[in-house]
Amino acid sequence: MKELVEMIAKALVDIPEEVAVRAIEGEQSTVLELKVAPSDLGKVIGKQGRTARSIRTILGAAGMKLKRRFTLEILE
Amino acid sequence: MPEPELDNVKLRLEPFLSRLLKSASLEVRFQVLPGSGQIYVTGTPDIVVTFDGANSDLLLQRGGELLDALEHLCLEYLQLPSAERHRIAFDCQEYRALRLEELRLTAATAAESVERSGRPFALNPMNSRERRIIHLALQENPAVRTESEGIGPHRKVVIYPAQKNNRK
Repeated sequence: MKELVEMIAKALVDIPEEVAVRAIEGEQSTVLELKVAPSDLGKVIGKQGRTARSIRTILGAAGMKLKRRFTLEILE
Repeated sequence: MPEPELDNVKLRLEPFLSRLLKSASLEVRFQVLPGSGQIYVTGTPDIVVTFDGANSDLLLQRGGELLDALEHLCLEYLQLPSAERHRIAFDCQEYRALRLEELRLTAATAAESVERSGRPFALNPMNSRERRIIHLALQENPAVRTESEGIGPHRKVVIYPAQKNNRK
Protein backbone atom coordinates (compact mmCIF):
# COMPACT_ATOMS: atom_id res chain seq x y z
CA MET A 1 0.00 0.00 0.00
CA LYS A 2 3.08 2.16 0.37
CA GLU A 3 3.42 2.07 -3.45
CA LEU A 4 -0.18 3.19 -3.85
CA VAL A 5 0.25 6.31 -1.72
CA GLU A 6 3.61 7.01 -3.32
CA MET A 7 2.33 6.80 -6.89
CA ILE A 8 -0.73 8.95 -6.20
CA ALA A 9 1.34 11.59 -4.39
CA LYS A 10 4.01 11.65 -7.10
CA ALA A 11 1.33 12.08 -9.75
CA LEU A 12 -0.18 15.09 -7.98
CA VAL A 13 2.80 17.12 -6.76
CA ASP A 14 5.15 19.53 -8.55
CA ILE A 15 8.29 18.02 -6.97
CA PRO A 16 7.92 14.21 -7.12
CA GLU A 17 11.53 13.69 -6.00
CA GLU A 18 10.54 14.95 -2.56
CA VAL A 19 7.74 12.45 -2.04
CA ALA A 20 8.55 9.91 0.65
CA VAL A 21 6.28 7.33 2.25
CA ARG A 22 7.13 5.34 5.36
CA ALA A 23 5.05 2.36 6.42
CA ILE A 24 4.85 1.62 10.12
CA GLU A 25 3.47 -1.87 10.52
CA GLY A 26 1.35 -2.69 13.55
CA GLU A 27 -0.37 -5.94 14.35
CA GLN A 28 -3.61 -5.30 12.48
CA SER A 29 -2.96 -1.93 11.00
CA THR A 30 -0.38 -0.01 9.05
CA VAL A 31 0.29 3.70 9.39
CA LEU A 32 1.49 5.28 6.18
CA GLU A 33 3.41 8.49 6.71
CA LEU A 34 3.48 10.73 3.66
CA LYS A 35 6.02 13.50 3.34
CA VAL A 36 6.04 15.98 0.45
CA ALA A 37 7.73 19.32 -0.27
CA PRO A 38 6.09 22.05 1.86
CA SER A 39 4.94 23.80 -1.32
CA ASP A 40 3.15 20.59 -2.41
CA LEU A 41 1.16 20.05 0.81
CA GLY A 42 -1.94 21.65 -0.67
CA LYS A 43 -1.75 19.32 -3.66
CA VAL A 44 -1.99 16.15 -1.56
CA ILE A 45 -4.51 17.57 0.89
CA GLY A 46 -6.78 19.34 -1.58
CA LYS A 47 -9.57 21.85 -1.03
CA GLN A 48 -11.18 21.14 2.35
CA GLY A 49 -9.07 18.00 2.53
CA ARG A 50 -10.87 16.35 -0.38
CA THR A 51 -7.78 14.85 -1.99
CA ALA A 52 -6.50 13.40 1.29
CA ARG A 53 -10.00 12.05 1.95
CA SER A 54 -10.07 10.41 -1.49
CA ILE A 55 -6.74 8.69 -0.86
CA ARG A 56 -8.05 7.47 2.51
CA THR A 57 -11.20 6.11 0.87
CA ILE A 58 -9.09 4.08 -1.56
CA LEU A 59 -6.91 2.83 1.30
CA GLY A 60 -10.08 1.82 3.12
CA ALA A 61 -11.32 -0.21 0.16
CA ALA A 62 -7.94 -1.86 -0.32
CA GLY A 63 -7.80 -2.58 3.41
CA MET A 64 -11.18 -4.28 3.27
CA LYS A 65 -9.87 -6.64 0.61
CA LEU A 66 -6.60 -7.28 2.43
CA LYS A 67 -8.25 -7.42 5.88
CA ARG A 68 -5.95 -4.77 7.23
CA ARG A 69 -6.41 -1.19 8.38
CA PHE A 70 -4.38 1.49 6.66
CA THR A 71 -4.09 4.95 8.13
CA LEU A 72 -2.72 7.85 6.12
CA GLU A 73 -0.79 10.46 8.05
CA ILE A 74 0.35 13.50 6.07
CA LEU A 75 3.39 15.00 7.79
CA GLU A 76 3.57 18.80 7.84
CA MET B 1 -8.39 26.85 -22.46
CA PRO B 2 -7.29 23.34 -23.41
CA GLU B 3 -10.22 21.03 -24.10
CA PRO B 4 -10.30 17.59 -22.49
CA GLU B 5 -10.07 15.72 -25.76
CA LEU B 6 -10.85 12.00 -25.68
CA ASP B 7 -7.55 10.72 -27.09
CA ASN B 8 -5.52 13.05 -24.97
CA VAL B 9 -7.41 12.15 -21.79
CA LYS B 10 -7.18 8.44 -22.62
CA LEU B 11 -3.46 8.62 -23.15
CA ARG B 12 -2.83 10.31 -19.82
CA LEU B 13 -5.50 8.67 -17.73
CA GLU B 14 -5.19 4.99 -18.67
CA PRO B 15 -1.68 4.32 -17.30
CA PHE B 16 -2.38 6.30 -14.12
CA LEU B 17 -5.73 4.72 -13.34
CA SER B 18 -4.53 1.18 -14.22
CA ARG B 19 -1.62 1.51 -11.84
CA LEU B 20 -3.79 3.02 -9.14
CA LEU B 21 -6.33 0.17 -9.30
CA LYS B 22 -3.62 -2.46 -9.36
CA SER B 23 -1.75 -0.98 -6.38
CA ALA B 24 -5.02 -0.90 -4.45
CA SER B 25 -5.72 -4.58 -5.34
CA LEU B 26 -9.09 -3.59 -6.78
CA GLU B 27 -10.38 -6.05 -9.35
CA VAL B 28 -12.16 -3.66 -11.66
CA ARG B 29 -11.75 -2.85 -15.31
CA PHE B 30 -12.45 0.51 -16.87
CA GLN B 31 -13.06 2.03 -20.26
CA VAL B 32 -12.62 5.63 -21.33
CA LEU B 33 -15.50 6.36 -23.72
CA PRO B 34 -17.01 9.34 -25.48
CA GLY B 35 -20.11 10.60 -23.65
CA SER B 36 -23.17 8.85 -25.04
CA GLY B 37 -25.38 11.89 -24.67
CA GLN B 38 -26.93 10.27 -21.63
CA ILE B 39 -27.62 12.69 -18.84
CA TYR B 40 -25.42 12.19 -15.80
CA VAL B 41 -25.42 14.15 -12.58
CA THR B 42 -22.94 16.53 -14.14
CA GLY B 43 -24.93 17.25 -17.27
CA THR B 44 -23.87 15.62 -20.52
CA PRO B 45 -20.17 14.84 -20.18
CA ASP B 46 -17.96 14.54 -23.25
CA ILE B 47 -15.96 11.70 -21.72
CA VAL B 48 -17.22 8.89 -19.51
CA VAL B 49 -15.02 6.48 -17.58
CA THR B 50 -17.05 3.34 -16.82
CA PHE B 51 -16.10 0.51 -14.49
CA ASP B 52 -17.03 -3.15 -14.30
CA GLY B 53 -15.52 -6.32 -12.85
CA ALA B 54 -15.54 -8.37 -9.65
CA ASN B 55 -15.10 -5.45 -7.24
CA SER B 56 -17.32 -2.93 -8.98
CA ASP B 57 -19.88 -3.13 -6.16
CA LEU B 58 -17.24 -1.70 -3.84
CA LEU B 59 -17.22 1.45 -5.95
CA LEU B 60 -20.87 2.17 -5.21
CA GLN B 61 -20.90 1.54 -1.47
CA ARG B 62 -21.80 4.45 0.82
CA GLY B 63 -23.23 6.66 -1.89
CA GLY B 64 -20.56 5.91 -4.47
CA GLU B 65 -17.79 7.06 -2.15
CA LEU B 66 -15.02 5.07 -3.86
CA LEU B 67 -16.22 6.01 -7.36
CA ASP B 68 -16.14 9.68 -6.33
CA ALA B 69 -12.68 9.26 -4.77
CA LEU B 70 -11.27 7.76 -7.99
CA GLU B 71 -12.97 10.48 -10.04
CA HIS B 72 -11.56 13.21 -7.83
CA LEU B 73 -7.97 11.88 -7.87
CA CYS B 74 -8.03 11.40 -11.65
CA LEU B 75 -9.41 14.89 -12.27
CA GLU B 76 -6.73 16.32 -9.97
CA TYR B 77 -4.13 14.33 -11.85
CA LEU B 78 -5.35 15.62 -15.22
CA GLN B 79 -5.19 19.21 -13.86
CA LEU B 80 -8.14 20.40 -15.88
CA PRO B 81 -9.29 23.99 -15.49
CA SER B 82 -12.29 23.94 -13.15
CA ALA B 83 -14.72 24.89 -15.94
CA GLU B 84 -13.69 21.74 -17.86
CA ARG B 85 -13.95 19.26 -15.00
CA HIS B 86 -17.66 18.59 -15.47
CA ARG B 87 -16.94 17.32 -18.98
CA ILE B 88 -15.51 14.09 -17.56
CA ALA B 89 -17.65 11.75 -15.46
CA PHE B 90 -16.94 8.41 -13.79
CA ASP B 91 -19.73 5.85 -13.77
CA CYS B 92 -20.48 2.27 -12.81
CA GLN B 93 -23.65 0.26 -13.46
CA GLU B 94 -25.56 3.40 -14.55
CA TYR B 95 -25.17 4.75 -11.02
CA ARG B 96 -25.00 8.40 -12.10
CA ALA B 97 -28.24 8.25 -14.06
CA LEU B 98 -30.06 6.51 -11.19
CA ARG B 99 -28.68 9.00 -8.72
CA LEU B 100 -29.80 11.89 -10.91
CA GLU B 101 -33.40 10.64 -10.81
CA GLU B 102 -33.14 10.08 -7.07
CA LEU B 103 -31.82 13.63 -6.50
CA ARG B 104 -34.57 15.21 -8.60
CA LEU B 105 -37.19 13.26 -6.68
CA THR B 106 -35.60 14.28 -3.37
CA ALA B 107 -35.58 17.93 -4.47
CA ALA B 108 -39.24 17.86 -5.50
CA THR B 109 -40.39 16.10 -2.32
CA ALA B 110 -38.40 18.41 -0.05
CA ALA B 111 -39.64 21.52 -1.90
CA GLU B 112 -43.24 20.39 -1.45
CA SER B 113 -42.73 19.97 2.27
CA VAL B 114 -41.12 23.43 2.54
CA GLU B 115 -44.01 24.95 0.66
CA ARG B 116 -46.54 23.24 2.93
CA SER B 117 -44.82 23.94 6.25
CA GLY B 118 -43.29 27.32 5.41
CA ARG B 119 -40.14 26.11 7.16
CA PRO B 120 -36.62 25.61 5.70
CA PHE B 121 -35.48 22.06 5.06
CA ALA B 122 -31.85 20.90 5.02
CA LEU B 123 -30.93 18.02 2.74
CA ASN B 124 -28.13 15.54 3.50
CA PRO B 125 -24.55 16.64 2.77
CA MET B 126 -23.63 16.26 -0.91
CA ASN B 127 -20.69 17.03 -3.15
CA SER B 128 -20.80 20.01 -5.51
CA ARG B 129 -21.96 18.00 -8.51
CA GLU B 130 -24.95 16.68 -6.61
CA ARG B 131 -25.77 20.03 -4.99
CA ARG B 132 -25.81 21.56 -8.44
CA ILE B 133 -28.52 19.09 -9.49
CA ILE B 134 -30.70 20.17 -6.56
CA HIS B 135 -30.22 23.88 -7.30
CA LEU B 136 -31.06 23.33 -10.97
CA ALA B 137 -34.05 21.12 -10.19
CA LEU B 138 -35.62 23.87 -8.06
CA GLN B 139 -34.45 26.87 -10.06
CA GLU B 140 -37.83 27.30 -11.77
CA ASN B 141 -39.88 26.62 -8.65
CA PRO B 142 -41.27 30.03 -7.54
CA ALA B 143 -42.26 28.73 -4.10
CA VAL B 144 -38.75 28.04 -2.83
CA ARG B 145 -35.16 29.16 -3.03
CA THR B 146 -32.05 27.06 -2.37
CA GLU B 147 -28.72 27.76 -0.73
CA SER B 148 -25.61 25.70 -0.02
CA GLU B 149 -24.43 25.89 3.57
CA GLY B 150 -21.62 24.35 5.61
CA ILE B 151 -18.04 23.49 4.80
CA GLY B 152 -16.27 20.68 2.94
CA PRO B 153 -17.82 17.22 3.27
CA HIS B 154 -20.64 18.68 5.41
CA ARG B 155 -21.81 21.19 2.81
CA LYS B 156 -25.49 20.73 2.05
CA VAL B 157 -28.39 22.37 0.28
CA VAL B 158 -31.00 24.13 2.41
CA ILE B 159 -34.37 24.79 0.80
CA TYR B 160 -36.17 27.95 2.01
CA PRO B 161 -39.67 29.27 1.36
CA ALA B 162 -39.31 31.87 -1.38
CA GLN B 163 -41.01 34.78 0.42
CA LYS B 164 -37.93 35.14 2.66
CA ASN B 165 -36.28 36.60 -0.41
CA ASN B 166 -38.70 39.54 -0.48
CA ARG B 167 -38.03 40.51 3.11
CA LYS B 168 -34.34 41.11 2.42
